[in-house]
Amino acid sequence: MKKCKHEDLIDDYLLNKLSEEKKQEFEAHYFNCPVCFEKMAERDEILTAIKYKGHTIFQDLEREKGTDRVPLLEQIWTFFTPKQWVLAAATAAVLLVVVLNIVPNLKTESPQFFINDDLVRGGSIKLISPVITVDAVPSQFRWESLGEDVEYKIEIYNHELLWSATTTNNYISLPPEIKERMVAGEKYSWQVKAFSGEGTLIAVSSKVQFPVTK
Amino acid sequence: MKKEKSPQFDLDEIIAKYRPIVSFRVKKSLGSHTPDWEDVVNEIMVNVLEKLNKGEFRGDSSIGTFIFTITSRRIIDFIRQKSKVLKYAPEPNPYLSPFENIENKERAELTANAIEKLKPKYKKILYLYYYKELSREEVAQKLNISPRRVSERVNYAQKLLRKMIKK
Repeated sequence: MKKCKHEDLIDDYLLNKLSEEKKQEFEAHYFNCPVCFEKMAERDEILTAIKYKGHTIFQDLEREKGTDRVPLLEQIWTFFTPKQWVLAAATAAVLLVVVLNIVPNLKTESPQFFINDDLVRGGSIKLISPVITVDAVPSQFRWESLGEDVEYKIEIYNHELLWSATTTNNYISLPPEIKERMVAGEKYSWQVKAFSGEGTLIAVSSKVQFPVTK
Repeated sequence: MKKEKSPQFDLDEIIAKYRPIVSFRVKKSLGSHTPDWEDVVNEIMVNVLEKLNKGEFRGDSSIGTFIFTITSRRIIDFIRQKSKVLKYAPEPNPYLSPFENIENKERAELTANAIEKLKPKYKKILYLYYYKELSREEVAQKLNISPRRVSERVNYAQKLLRKMIKK
């Protein structure tokens, strides 16, 4: 069978894929081109048989289609070219490094302190006085109040616990017998712990040193 | 004054050559399930013969183009008429079988059997291209061949089917 330059349009015409303009042009053409018409008539027979018998002719291929699916991994792999994959991996690595370096620094650290070697997380109490070197043994210890219904426990240390007492005020006076035991030239430290009404530890101050010079 | 002579034609030859082409065009435009399509073809052919006899064809264009123009006009008229008549009529069933005559049915069976016997690579290309109606490029991508090769393979499948059906 001879070849005509228009015969590439046959299938698109039969499958109604041509624009109206192209369709008209091709229709006018095949009235004048026996080669195209003969080929088209033959192809139309094939197409008609396929359209109306296709479900039985292609049973095996239709069944195969279910198992013919490209595996997910292959789909992902073919989504990018190898060059794009390398670029994507490098970008991901850079992002990971940036995130790992920046995120920990952005995090606000919760207060951490030690009580009897146990790590405790919670609120903090700000100690007011004494917090620096003092000339004489102080008579009163003062800290910031955490509100009502809070019980404070003050502890004064030399090398070991010297004195401990509880109060609901945000200050306490040192009893004379304890004051007598504290001498100039020694280093002391103190700490306050706050407990809720139910007796739960809710805040701890840092341990502050106050050397007594005279 | 000398009268311009219209070209002379063998009318039987014209009917034999153009009736299948006109039929194809009419069926394609109106749908082979339209019961009147053969009447339309007959009307066109009669019209063509009348015009030729009256000398209305002067050879300004090819005879093919002359018949194409008559066919196109009649198709447009038929569609206009039908849309007026069928405006309030119930929708016809569009899923009638194209094998309204036994000859067509037998030919379709023959073609279907031949396709089933094709080698898998030709059968698959007909499946993707004609049954699934994928574009040449999509078929090419699926089978990992060039679009040109798709056309060649379809053409070769057609050639094989022609041989098988003629046997």
